[in-house]
Amino acid sequence: MTSFENLKLKLTEGEQSILDGQQGQTMQRVLKTLVLYGEALGAERLVELNGDGHFVIAWATPGIAPSFKMLDELIDAGLKTKLPFTLDPSAPLDFENWRLRPEQERLLEEMYRDQGRYDEKILQLGLRDRDAYSCNPFDPEVGNLPEKGSILAWSESACAIYANSVLGARTNINGAIIDLLSYIAGKTPLAGLLMDEGRQADSLVEITTEELPLPQLLGTVIGMKVLDGVPYITGLDRFLGKGLSDGTKDYLREMGAACATYSAVGLFHVENITPEAVEQGSDLLLPDYTRFQIDDKAIRKLEGTFSDGWPDRDAKPEKCFIGCPHLSLRQLNWWSEKILKRLESQNKNRLAVETILCAAPGVIEKYRSDRMTYEGMLDVGVRFSTSCAETLYEGEVCTGDAIITNSSKLKAYSTARFFPDEELVGILVDGVIPGGD
Amino acid sequence: MEINGVSTFKGRPILAGKMDGEALVSRKGFNTYASFSTSMLTKAKVAICSDRRNEELHGKELTGKVLCIPKTIGSTSSGAVWERIVQMGIAPKAVLFSQQIDSLAAGGLIIADVWTKIRIIAIDRLGHEFLDLVQDGDRIDIEWDGTVHITKYNR
Repeated sequence: MTSFENLKLKLTEGEQSILDGQQGQTMQRVLKTLVLYGEALGAERLVELNGDGHFVIAWATPGIAPSFKMLDELIDAGLKTKLPFTLDPSAPLDFENWRLRPEQERLLEEMYRDQGRYDEKILQLGLRDRDAYSCNPFDPEVGNLPEKGSILAWSESACAIYANSVLGARTNINGAIIDLLSYIAGKTPLAGLLMDEGRQADSLVEITTEELPLPQLLGTVIGMKVLDGVPYITGLDRFLGKGLSDGTKDYLREMGAACATYSAVGLFHVENITPEAVEQGSDLLLPDYTRFQIDDKAIRKLEGTFSDGWPDRDAKPEKCFIGCPHLSLRQLNWWSEKILKRLESQNKNRLAVETILCAAPGVIEKYRSDRMTYEGMLDVGVRFSTSCAETLYEGEVCTGDAIITNSSKLKAYSTARFFPDEELVGILVDGVIPGGD
Repeated sequence: MEINGVSTFKGRPILAGKMDGEALVSRKGFNTYASFSTSMLTKAKVAICSDRRNEELHGKELTGKVLCIPKTIGSTSSGAVWERIVQMGIAPKAVLFSQQIDSLAAGGLIIADVWTKIRIIAIDRLGHEFLDLVQDGDRIDIEWDGTVHITKYNR
């Protein structure tokens, strides 16, 4: 295939001239990579990107970051992305707010010793600005909000699934580095979720619960059942109403992140709620779709399996991470109200568990403008971080720590124990896990 | 060793080549980052599979093998793994997919090929019968056109 003689993918004259080396050897390599990638995906041609990027390559770790050799080659060739991009949260080096053990800090410093140099190179290649780091780039405070129908080449699965499903933009779930090279070329293969036929639903997921399930639990169950493809979800409008309120957007963002963690699903439709489902309804379903049903029993069953994780089950929770994916401003306010009210109702002035809320830099800055709430939360022991707990625990530097969370995504990549939001508030205040285990 | 039979399958060459080698098989999705992460971080001379969730491969040597898998799974952040392990000289010789190659593996393997000029041969769409038949230690011969021969020996 690499001879380009038998390509099924059709090239424009301009693309052919780049492959012939007319724009230099590095641009030739960039496009060659994308053409071969498109051929592997069965694309008929490349298509121009018209929405900003969001990439997964925020951390200078082996196997995730592009090599310095590649970055230097791109920079030396004068290349830069055709549109700006945002990145996943910054590297897990927020020692001030995380308060790790000295040996853990030393290991992380060693793992990320090249991070500063890497950040500068990524900025040169088109990162929007030095604060453009979050796995929730959609809030106005971050402002990477692609329009419906935009063509993207995103990589972070939790973001791509939201862009596809809730915003109606179009991106495949690309891997690290393909994201960067696509935006340097300004093109991506026309295949999969970029095509109308790739966005048809091949499964029907009927939610028959009595109450609205926690979004991360529901997303996990959907992911585990569907595994791949495009689900058409019914029954959520009973609880969320029709259309997309801010609360519904937060719900679907958390649900999608969990679903993408436990499956290869990159797009879902929700009846009467998400844009393509509102427009096309059940016409989105392919004739031979598979049917799944999710009831309260399925949610409870999953929740039961989520309480395991710590090597010492009798340990006291030492730290709580909330905000995987990053919290919106609305969610930050929700947690603040819950925590402060619960403490007040129990005549306490300090949380029993170290608690870290994670959100984008711009979101935390906006939150801080409500000084009374912000300082009130600091006073009770809450800290705020713009970094990523998942990255911290994925690297196994902190494996086995007695961590609690409300994130099924963090749970998937660590030994953290999962608790539903309301239950978690109680644990943070009391320092005790209900049931004594 | 005495040959016990040869079976032939035809796939689609993603990164074509001709070679022979020893099969190493995972019948569940291959988590690329989890499998190579320890070897990358410790700068190992030989890659040993570090994915604890993959009972078939955990603890086995991956370097120089013909990896036979359905497809890859895991975080999209792991797209740079193939480039890294090729640079370190600890990559498998080839990856054979029973299913259509997934976008994560396609991107990662192609980047490694184009940017390091060292090829890991990749063939996809070999079919589930291929994965049902192939076993660890089988000899694999790969042709340029995506034909794959499995040679089994009496053990």
